[in-house]
Amino acid sequence: MLLKGKNSVITGCLQGIGKATLETFANNGSNVWACAQAPNDDFEAFCKELAQRNDVWIKPIYFDLLDQDQMKAALKIISSDKLPIHSLVNIAGMTKDAIFHMIPMDQMKMIFEVNFFSQMYITQYITKLMVRQKGGSVINISSISALDGSYGQLSYSASKAALIGATKTLSAELADKGVRVNAIAPGVIATDMNKIVPENIIAGHVKKMSIKRLGNSFEVSNAILYLASDLSAYVTGQVLRIDGGIK
Amino acid sequence: MMEVKLLKGKNAIVTGCARGIGSSIVEVLAENGANVWACARKQTPEFENFLEGLSSKYDVVIKPIYFDLSDKDQMKIAVKTIMSEKRSVDILVNNAGITYNALFQMSTIDKIQEVFDVNFISPFLFTQYIVKLMLKNKSGSIINISSSAALDGNSGRAVYGASKAALLCATKSLAAELGDQGIRANVIAPGITKTDMLSSMTEEVINETVMNTDMKRHGEPTDIANTVLFLASDLSSYITGQVIRVDGGM
Repeated sequence: MLLKGKNSVITGCLQGIGKATLETFANNGSNVWACAQAPNDDFEAFCKELAQRNDVWIKPIYFDLLDQDQMKAALKIISSDKLPIHSLVNIAGMTKDAIFHMIPMDQMKMIFEVNFFSQMYITQYITKLMVRQKGGSVINISSISALDGSYGQLSYSASKAALIGATKTLSAELADKGVRVNAIAPGVIATDMNKIVPENIIAGHVKKMSIKRLGNSFEVSNAILYLASDLSAYVTGQVLRIDGGIK
Repeated sequence: MMEVKLLKGKNAIVTGCARGIGSSIVEVLAENGANVWACARKQTPEFENFLEGLSSKYDVVIKPIYFDLSDKDQMKIAVKTIMSEKRSVDILVNNAGITYNALFQMSTIDKIQEVFDVNFISPFLFTQYIVKLMLKNKSGSIINISSSAALDGNSGRAVYGASKAALLCATKSLAAELGDQGIRANVIAPGITKTDMLSSMTEEVINETVMNTDMKRHGEPTDIANTVLFLASDLSSYITGQVIRVDGGM
């Protein structure tokens, strides 16, 4: 129960790493504002059951990352609860793969809007509250493609690299106010996002790993748990690779 | 809901347990349910009392193991003692080390060799022995305590930093070699941590370094021990070959 009695904001909770993080946080005693793109009955039922099982509350919050008005309204709902926010986990993101010369500029801007600017908007809002309460932990989900590059993923990798720059700068600005800021760089994780990747490409990745298999969403969410909890009380401005040791 | 301890039933070896970060690691591992072979150089009543206290407080087995890292025969005997208990070894924390501050031009060959012997060659050899035991169960987590000096190359830290960088690099190779056999290997790079080792630095240097951290404070031994816990546990099952800086943001 590493987060007993804590309150967390998690984005991208509908599936994959976000859903696993929601589950891991609830299992560890955290209440959660669970953010997803649009209302969804299955998701509501999932949240309700998870909350009951762990004796925490989970509030579904809906907004589209491309719609700033929706985001603002959602953030107001969160702050109107007038509760301390101990951690913010920015997970929501998207990818559109294309080789560099084939990327429409509008598409690149959209990827940055979702993966970077919207995260910054949310982070500005939430960290203001964290600074006021003199504590908090922000975890940004970047990617190993931000560090290593990734063929056909220029927009995605560049937007995720921007998150790393923001993480380090924000750490420098906020750490002495009690707010730690770190990033996670997952490798190849078995999620829906990677289902579309051809098998031979996945096999090529696995070959380069020390642990010769894909990771699963809970292996990522457990590292997020570490960074959200007091186990990492003196860790800030870091990027943690969860990639099975890719060379 | 039942509280499940993160290291329930696991067996760990920790070196350098007499004080500082090492004694904090023993406590955190014990608190989380691990049995510990606590290695130190010298037998003292204080140390034995400390271990006995932890053992009864957390209901785990803690055994002191004594050897001098620079004495390879003593090390071999220690390994045999551990092996004779016929328990699995799940976690190895190479924490023991010595510090040395000297400008590059002032570093003597004797000191260079001594520092490398204790900080690099000894944990390397010790790990060779222990990995053999871990391979029997095809599982294990190795955590080597390096230093931010290994990554940053600070003034006066040529020898110490290089010895810790050697350990860091060896860990990455080990991770690459053993990852498909269920053994993970990672590094922690502490920054300014409140231990006796700090006394080798002037107050001015310590203050300056602390002011250079994002958090504007030094770390505590428990900060390092808690990250050891994370890397020792299954929470980090897909993390290997990594370096985690626990340095308040330097």
